[in-house]
Amino acid sequence: MTASAATAVASRPQADRPPLVRLRGLTKSYGSMVAVKPLDLDIQSGDFYALLGPSGCGKTTLLRMIGGFTEPTAGTVEIDGVDVTRMGPERRPTNMVFQGYGLFPHMTVRQNIAYGLKLAKLPAAEVETRVKEIIGLVRLEQLAERRPDGLSGGQAQRVALARALVMRPRVLLLDEPLAALDLQLRKAMQEELRRIHRSIGGTFVFVTHDQGEAMALANRIAVMDAGACVQEGGPEEIYGAPRTRFISTFIGEANVLPGRRQGGRVTLEAGGSFADAGADEAVVVVVRPEAMALGGNLPQGAVKLTGRLADSVFLGPYVRYRVELPGGGEIILHSQDFALRHRLAVDDTVEVGWTTDVQRVLADR
Amino acid sequence: MTTRFARIVWFVFGAAAVFFMLSPLLLLVLFSFGRNSLASFPMRGVTFDWYRALFANQDFWVAFQNSVVVSLSVGVTSVLVGMLAAFAFARMKKRRAGPLLALLTVPLMMPPLVLALALFSAYAALHIPLSVWTVVPGQVVFIQPFVILVVYARMADFDESVIDSARDLGASPMRAFLTVTLPIIRPTVIGAALIAMALSLDEFIITYYTIGGGLTLPTLVWGMLRRSLDPSINALATLILIGTLGATMLAIRATRYRG
Ligand SMILES: Nc1ncnc2c1ncn2[C@@H]1O[C@H](COP(=O)(O)OP(=O)(O)O)[C@@H](O)[C@H]1O
Ligand SMILES: [Mg+2]
Repeated sequence: MTASAATAVASRPQADRPPLVRLRGLTKSYGSMVAVKPLDLDIQSGDFYALLGPSGCGKTTLLRMIGGFTEPTAGTVEIDGVDVTRMGPERRPTNMVFQGYGLFPHMTVRQNIAYGLKLAKLPAAEVETRVKEIIGLVRLEQLAERRPDGLSGGQAQRVALARALVMRPRVLLLDEPLAALDLQLRKAMQEELRRIHRSIGGTFVFVTHDQGEAMALANRIAVMDAGACVQEGGPEEIYGAPRTRFISTFIGEANVLPGRRQGGRVTLEAGGSFADAGADEAVVVVVRPEAMALGGNLPQGAVKLTGRLADSVFLGPYVRYRVELPGGGEIILHSQDFALRHRLAVDDTVEVGWTTDVQRVLADR
Repeated sequence: MTTRFARIVWFVFGAAAVFFMLSPLLLLVLFSFGRNSLASFPMRGVTFDWYRALFANQDFWVAFQNSVVVSLSVGVTSVLVGMLAAFAFARMKKRRAGPLLALLTVPLMMPPLVLALALFSAYAALHIPLSVWTVVPGQVVFIQPFVILVVYARMADFDESVIDSARDLGASPMRAFLTVTLPIIRPTVIGAALIAMALSLDEFIITYYTIGGGLTLPTLVWGMLRRSLDPSINALATLILIGTLGATMLAIRATRYRG
């Protein structure tokens, strides 16, 4: 088996099963403005799937097309093998947690949660047990008789979640579910969401502009930029092997060093060069801060640059260094060699470097 | 020192202004219970005779019935039509809704007399005989804009995501409207209907020109005034005042934002 075939299998472990959600050529334009460019995406059953991208890149539009709230300009949405493109939201096996939650202000928490089941004309006894069960799952027992205007942001969020989950959707859609919460609550709710996903084993698709949140929750991530999906894969894959310069800086921190490839050799503007097969063109070299080494720690055969140590901060698990390069660029570097910090002083001239196996060389477009 | 003085001056001035504006109404109510047959002081005791006289008047009951029919019809019609119009406007971009709203509210700014004459000539030209049923559409033209403005103000800041939620949970568009939109805006709709009915109840000019030989309470007052200065007019006016104020106060209560 060739190496490339092995990676293909590893990145698509469930390729033999038909996807639960299958988007083909899905497009949305508003007049001449294209919000979502033709897009193909497969979401497997059981996925906790993140649509990640900066604000305005078309994430919400895409999610609303899956849920049936926005009609696509072209393309199809298939869920569980059924083409639902022309169906209204009430006929799709999806439920959504809206960004503003959309709780019914004239109903109590319990009535909000029971609303969908009552519409489905389920027997009263079953409505009651299912509502009770879900209220327990999201831990809302104390608040069941309150109205939405008496809830905090985190509580309202859990009601919205419960109201969607009680319908037992094939796919749960969440639009920026945690964006309105403060940092502490967000961390707690992330854990809560992971717990709920584990305990009910459903398929969740959520939209976020926060790469940390995508990493924390999702087992698969589609990175979107300007209406297009620019990379799709597991979190490790997207962090470790970003396909474009945009992704490498959007997901986590990265050093992006411009250079040129000429005759199979890349020469960086900041100095330093290494062999790299490929066309003659402008490139950027991407290296994560934790993959960089400093001073005496440089490994054999490393690409080396020389600069001035501008800053060093002890951050607990690691030390963060900033090295200014003569050409005006800078390198950010994380090191766990705590002793090294005492041998270096700000304004020292230092060598930084990395081995070519931790770098990504991308065409600079 | 000065601020205290200023406060006193403002209070006296304000009280005088309010008294000046309300005193005719107070006098009207007062004289409706007075024994005098002319509206003059000193009052010679309290009586319900003028109300008794009013209730014995056959015309009063005809006018009362017509007024109830007209104001109920105007209330229902203008709320149904006004609600639909307000929804349509709320769905538009603000920039486009603005000019259209302004256009629709032109009848508010027109002198009612001009509107009344226009309606009168239109009915005549179309050979439509005048009756209570020509009064209703005429009043709706004038009163409708109030309802549109009130409901539009509510719909403009309506959070559409509750409708999306209802659809998501299995409601058809109609069901979502009945179970979510309507209950949320119900106080506003009831308030708008009461305002419309209050405006209709004491509307005179349009009614006078479009009712033909019929009577409503305000046109009855007008007719009685032309014949005599009978204090039972005061009694009638007091009743209209109570009806209008009552409806308006209920409307204010209903539309007040709660929570
Ligand atoms: N109803 C609409 N009419 C016109 N443009 C819209 C509409 N909805 C979204 N857009 C545009 O589509 C783009 C993508 O929007 P959205 O999907 O909300 O982005 P995101 O959720 O990633 O922030 C934005 O530029 C936005 O202005
Ligand atoms: Mg969005």
